[in-house]
Amino acid sequence: MINKALLTRVLEKALSTGADFAEIYVEHTKENNIAMIDSRVDSVTDKLISGVGMRIFQGTRCVTASCTSLEESDLMACAGRMADALEGVPVNRTVRLQERIFGDIHPIRVVPGDASLKTKTDLLKEGHFAAKNYHQDISQVRANLLDVDHQILVANSDGLYAQDRQIRTRMTVNAFASKGGEKQSGSCSPGRRMGLELFDMISPKSIGEKAARQALTMLNAGYIKAGRMPVAIENGFGGVIFHEACGHSLEASSVAPGQSQFCGKLGQQIANPKLTALDDGTIPNAWGSMNIDDEGTPAQRKVLIENGILKSYMVDKLNGRRMGMESTGSSRRQSYLFDPTSRMTNTFIANGPDRNEDIISSIEYGLYAKAMGGGSVNSVTGAFNFAVNEGYIIRNGKICEPVRGASLIGKGSEIIMDIDMIGNNLETAQGMCGASSGSIPTEVGQPLIRVASITVGGR
Amino acid sequence: MKYTEFKEKVMAAAAARGLTEYELYAEEKENISVETLNHEISAFSTGTVAGACFRCVYQGKLGYASTELYTASEAERVVEEAMENASILETEGEAFIHEPGDAYTKPEKKPVTEPSAAQLTELALKTEEAAYGADERIVNGSQSSANFYRNKIFLSNSKGLDLTDENAFTAVGSYPIAREGEEMFSGFYSKAGDYTELDPQIVAEKGVEDAVSQIGAVSVPTGTYDVMFSNHVTAMMLRVYLNIFSAEAAQKEMSMLAGKENEMVAVPCVTLIDDPFCEDSLVKTPFDGEGVATRRKDVVKEGRLMTLLHNLATAHKAGVASTGNGVKAGYAAPVSIQPYNFYLEKGGGGTTEEMYEHLGDGIYLTELNGMHAGANPVTGDFSLASAGFLVENGKKSRPIKNFTISGNFYQLLQDIALVGDDWELRPPMRGNACYGGPSFIVRGMSIGGK
Repeated sequence: MINKALLTRVLEKALSTGADFAEIYVEHTKENNIAMIDSRVDSVTDKLISGVGMRIFQGTRCVTASCTSLEESDLMACAGRMADALEGVPVNRTVRLQERIFGDIHPIRVVPGDASLKTKTDLLKEGHFAAKNYHQDISQVRANLLDVDHQILVANSDGLYAQDRQIRTRMTVNAFASKGGEKQSGSCSPGRRMGLELFDMISPKSIGEKAARQALTMLNAGYIKAGRMPVAIENGFGGVIFHEACGHSLEASSVAPGQSQFCGKLGQQIANPKLTALDDGTIPNAWGSMNIDDEGTPAQRKVLIENGILKSYMVDKLNGRRMGMESTGSSRRQSYLFDPTSRMTNTFIANGPDRNEDIISSIEYGLYAKAMGGGSVNSVTGAFNFAVNEGYIIRNGKICEPVRGASLIGKGSEIIMDIDMIGNNLETAQGMCGASSGSIPTEVGQPLIRVASITVGGR
Repeated sequence: MKYTEFKEKVMAAAAARGLTEYELYAEEKENISVETLNHEISAFSTGTVAGACFRCVYQGKLGYASTELYTASEAERVVEEAMENASILETEGEAFIHEPGDAYTKPEKKPVTEPSAAQLTELALKTEEAAYGADERIVNGSQSSANFYRNKIFLSNSKGLDLTDENAFTAVGSYPIAREGEEMFSGFYSKAGDYTELDPQIVAEKGVEDAVSQIGAVSVPTGTYDVMFSNHVTAMMLRVYLNIFSAEAAQKEMSMLAGKENEMVAVPCVTLIDDPFCEDSLVKTPFDGEGVATRRKDVVKEGRLMTLLHNLATAHKAGVASTGNGVKAGYAAPVSIQPYNFYLEKGGGGTTEEMYEHLGDGIYLTELNGMHAGANPVTGDFSLASAGFLVENGKKSRPIKNFTISGNFYQLLQDIALVGDDWELRPPMRGNACYGGPSFIVRGMSIGGK
């Protein structure tokens, strides 16, 4: 993308006023998005994202700059602007870049960019019409197929020069069911860090049908009554509870400035002893995986919490300096326009000691949250929330009628103590996580769990 | 190469392929940002981004392709890919490249002061110090920020339309953290405007007030309460539910306001206005993403739906004129529909304090969280984590948190009992739209708590 000699000159320019570290991140990303609505192909957008993000550190101070142009004069000006922001002693440091090849553990069999638009559109139609034709009450379906070919190059003043190519594919189907002036929705959106072979594993038909089935179930559901109750949260996207209630607060971007409820808690019991949780960026072809992070550090598998004891934070280079810790390969950014920071990759609660049927039968009256929506957290206070897309009442240990409109709220540090039963059907699901360094693909996961008591919103 | 040269190459490539209707839309964004942490500058950043999107009518359909790389080969590629993308579409009769001839309102824009990096740094540091000075419970971890943004838009098409627009402003934010015992409380306030008008002291004090006012907050018992939505929450609700006013959503059965024009969709105290030239707004927009002139319009007037928001395609389908709301969420995005400065009009209920008196006993709602997940923009259902204050005997009393509020937006429009006069327009969020309004009261909302 940019040759080594020029990268070296830019890094040296960036260091020229006394920074102790300089980094350049070059990106070339192709995105293609095909959308269907009203049973027809409605839009095709493709874009090329191309640019450079640079950073310099002086201790824990950070100066960054980005530019779209790859021309030498613009890159040198950008580096100069950064250097000017530091009032250090002029120095001449030489940089010697040494290429490192970390390998690729995410094979891609069908590169989406090489497939014809027709091939992709046919796959999308299969998913779309599987939802539309599922039932007469399905009034509208919105579906899209996104593929991203994200190529990055990271070089820094420590001599690192590394590249990665990250291809991902995702199909989203949103189905809407209507009857008697009421409307409800359902969705299904699997994705992988792989090519179109994704649809050999998960058929578009199954994606469409799942979305339609959920919309229909909710159309025939009543509203849940608000209150505090025990909740059984199903596997897969249910893992969003850990992502929001705990994961964000373990990112160094919250911990280093003292903005996390889990500051200074390493080695302490912060969760129920049954709970073990990991962040693993090395799972082959998983949605949140990568070979190297956006600072060029190889992805890692980290045990965050083991039997309830806090073992590790997720750390990037800059916050690592603030915390006196090494990077854990957790630095991520949406694109060159965002400053990278510590983020999750594939984060999940490991299988636990309980039998799934015991979890359901243990609840006299409560909620079974079969499919979760997204959520958010304030990592300072720990207050989190997330939506239940498909819920059922549990009565006398049995799953009963479906209910709509539920949301779950609480405080992270309390809820992870209250996860008191953990089943054994671990499964993961895909999402886009938004934070200061942009919107990035992350995976969440867990087996079926029980939260002893939580506030359920409803009416 | 520079944009003007790239544009010529794209236009030539389009003409060479026999295209007759096409458009190039480009954005150029510049920002300078300063962040503080623990009394020091922790991050300083400058960025420029530019990108262009080519659209063309090919086989009767509108194809798109965009790039950030201004090279001769990219000029050829975007034209070819837009044609290929058009060929797979199944949208007949919806391809429009706008003709010149609209009467464009020239917005009255105040001159913009561009702060230097040093001035922005000083602004951020002053805000930080003012926050620590405002209350002794403010602790390390508190942050402040100062940003300068400039956004230019260029739109040229084969019919001779050639438009540009530019908006620029400075924003300052305060993110203090208050500590009381083991508990932490985060506050936030931001203000945007011309650099010369921003007062770090006021921004910091409001941020600190937001943090410390939550100290001692408890949950409330589950039940039914009368609720006053703060003006900030009004803006958040409009932002989440803007799509129900979109003709595109209505035509695609994703809004229940479809076919309700000229019908009562809200109580008579509700008037919703979209004004691209709103005096209080930093962003004034003379043309939309298709080059259509924008204008002020009542969307809901005294409860009656006057119009949905249209772009060229939805207007054609409905047999009306575009309302000039064909907006792109970023240069590469397809033309969709968005308002500019969209707000609930004042309703005569008085100041915030007078609204507490009208409420009597109930909840003053100041915060909603998880809107992207807990509020469904199609069905109108919401169930959201909230925070706010109890109101007792017409006076604001203790802070409350950790409860949910649930309802349905369409129903809410029918249930509003009173709209206040404490009107405020919030600074623009990502994208350029601003949302605002006064506080309003709804009786008998469902609250989930302890």
